[in-house]
Amino acid sequence: MSTIPAAGPNASSSLTKPRRKIDAVSIASFIALVVTTFLMLLPLFFMVSTSLKSKKELLKFPPTFLPETWQWSNYKDIFETLNFGQMYANSLIIGILTVVGTLLSSALAAYGFARYRGKGSNLWFMLMLSTMMLPYPAIMIPQFILFSKLNWIDTFLPLIVPAFFGSAYNIFLLRQFFSTLPDELFDAGRIDGCSEFRMWRQIALPLSGPALATVAIFAFIYSWNDLLTPVLYLSSSDKFTLPVGMSSFTSSRFRIPPWHLLMVASVLAMLPIVTLFAIAQKRFVEGIVLTGIK
Amino acid sequence: MKRKRMKKTFALLLATSMLVVLALSGCSGGKSAGDVAPAGDSDTGKSGKSGEQVTITHYTIDSEDRTFIEKLIPDFEAKHPNIKVKVEKAPYEQFDSKLQTLIAGGKSPDVTSHYGYGGFAEYYNKDMLLDMNDIIKEDGFKASDYSIPDDLMKIYTVKDHVYGVPVNMYVTLMLYNKDMFDAANVPYPPSDYEDKSWTFDKMVEDAKKMTHVSEDIAKTQYGVDFTWSERDMRPLYFGVEPYSQDTWTNGGVPSETHFDSPDVMATYNKLFNLILKDKVSPTTEWSKSVAGQNGDAFVTGKLGMTVSGSWSLAGSNDFPFKVGVAAVPAGGNDKVRSVLFVDPLLILKGSKHPKEAFEWIKYLVSDEVQEKSIDLSGGNPPVNTKAAEAYYKHFEGIDPDDVKKVYEGAVKYGFESYNHLITNYSQINDMFINEMQPIDTGHKTVEEVMPTIQKKVMEIIKR
Repeated sequence: MSTIPAAGPNASSSLTKPRRKIDAVSIASFIALVVTTFLMLLPLFFMVSTSLKSKKELLKFPPTFLPETWQWSNYKDIFETLNFGQMYANSLIIGILTVVGTLLSSALAAYGFARYRGKGSNLWFMLMLSTMMLPYPAIMIPQFILFSKLNWIDTFLPLIVPAFFGSAYNIFLLRQFFSTLPDELFDAGRIDGCSEFRMWRQIALPLSGPALATVAIFAFIYSWNDLLTPVLYLSSSDKFTLPVGMSSFTSSRFRIPPWHLLMVASVLAMLPIVTLFAIAQKRFVEGIVLTGIK
Repeated sequence: MKRKRMKKTFALLLATSMLVVLALSGCSGGKSAGDVAPAGDSDTGKSGKSGEQVTITHYTIDSEDRTFIEKLIPDFEAKHPNIKVKVEKAPYEQFDSKLQTLIAGGKSPDVTSHYGYGGFAEYYNKDMLLDMNDIIKEDGFKASDYSIPDDLMKIYTVKDHVYGVPVNMYVTLMLYNKDMFDAANVPYPPSDYEDKSWTFDKMVEDAKKMTHVSEDIAKTQYGVDFTWSERDMRPLYFGVEPYSQDTWTNGGVPSETHFDSPDVMATYNKLFNLILKDKVSPTTEWSKSVAGQNGDAFVTGKLGMTVSGSWSLAGSNDFPFKVGVAAVPAGGNDKVRSVLFVDPLLILKGSKHPKEAFEWIKYLVSDEVQEKSIDLSGGNPPVNTKAAEAYYKHFEGIDPDDVKKVYEGAVKYGFESYNHLITNYSQINDMFINEMQPIDTGHKTVEEVMPTIQKKVMEIIKR
């Protein structure tokens, strides 16, 4: 949000101040932007370019910038060499349900922490935050024992259900946001006879677009990229997620990894994240507009 | 006032929902325990008795050269109607952590191997392995019936107790780029280990003829890459032992190491001089820039010779140049010129069906299956000496005769890789790589670094 006021004066000044001076500065910054953008996009470009090369061309040094022969069939092969479609679907299902679970649980818990004061509520909050200090490997084995006692091994449940119990970081993030909402809104709701739950749903949530979008992105990216948890809990090939399948590509110490196919997989794996970002960005802007009006 | 009431209802709601969750999980927990317990009990009690269906799990790496065993299962199950085999897998990098979690979580697989970073000695010292002696005695299993050489059986036998049955044997060999030899007019190196002219010095001489270092990285090529196997093994090859003899009898815990002795340091200097003085070998930086982090510069065609594991053969059909195999040149040790990497099949202590697991192991090392596995895996070398003949012929464009000679020589002059036989090996290996980095780049000398290494090796071993 702080970027808006910063950009504001700049944007308006380009209209009022003498043209030439600003042009030099903006041209320079434009060039700088183009150069950095190019540098940032270079790995991405190589990813796409490599995904279209043949296996023999991969070994060439110096590497070719563009594929000598455009091997579009790589994009078909990936679905044949791997259970790729299935893995993609698995990752999507787990990712979407994780987002739903995280949003529901974290937003509810955060609302509670932000709007209610009670004996020891700070203590509970601290306790919850302290769970962030625990590294995953420390709880890995106890959690595995718990889920295996529940007979959840080789199902998606261990990957999805924890999201429905909130996560400290997201609760913290949303709590901070909910605390900034003016009390008057809720008082008005209360006078109109709104139930507490309805105030959460119809006042707090709609006003929290950007925060919720952030949490959704975090949750999705985390789930989409997670490797260790699916490795631990899934054992049938048809349940594997994308990261598991993709890291198996380079698992053989005995032969040259099929980098071209790995790059195809990476290009395809990137799509949902990019899409989500594009959608969520719109929400960001909306949120900023909303809070701006307030 | 009203707010207070709200707070109460909210708290109540929260409390009830938590109770419900607890009750639910408790319920299903109880149920599953009920499901598992009787089955487990009866299985351990009656395992081995025919007619009862049991399921064993084989835990392995999720890559084609390991998961091919899935294709062998239908035939095995047809022959053993009471045994079902399930393959559980993990990517290479996560192999160890998943295995540890499975064991700690009471879901131990039955059969596996040390395919991750951890070695046999580590498993043995953590008491993860089942002593197979009783099963072998009852079964009447003889290695010779499966064409497994006795020497190989001994590798995974500690104090007369068998803890593993060898299944694959990788050796160290030399691969060379025929195109580069032809261009430099250098005769190919011999595949016969008895050829006395093939020495370390001769290799350096040949390598010099093929090395062209130029400003342009694309035109630069080197004669040889001798980053041979794990770093702590290399002195042995020049006739110097860095670990004390009792390593082999002490369960993977050597009582002494000698990494700071002048003899050992001299051998490291000899190897580093290939890079620093003779300049016939690439620096690690150069290799990385040419082939990527985990890549192999040899496959890009920029190296004349490379000393490497025989697993590199499996990819040789994809190399963009003609490849040959040769003996590892003599470094000054009459007995040691090659490192052997023998992968065993192990039964884990947590196995509920060790006898059925052993049936599966016997099936995997049988003549017919070992031969079939070469093709199915894309070129895994069998321990079975009968199946080995088929292995030698497996590689397109490489003379089977050369492969055979190189293999036989390697077995004769080979020693089992330290990484399987010394405890906490993955930490030792990481430490070596980190500490030796400055020598590679020329920032420190061998003499400066080795005392630190010596100290750290002893610390890790005693952990």
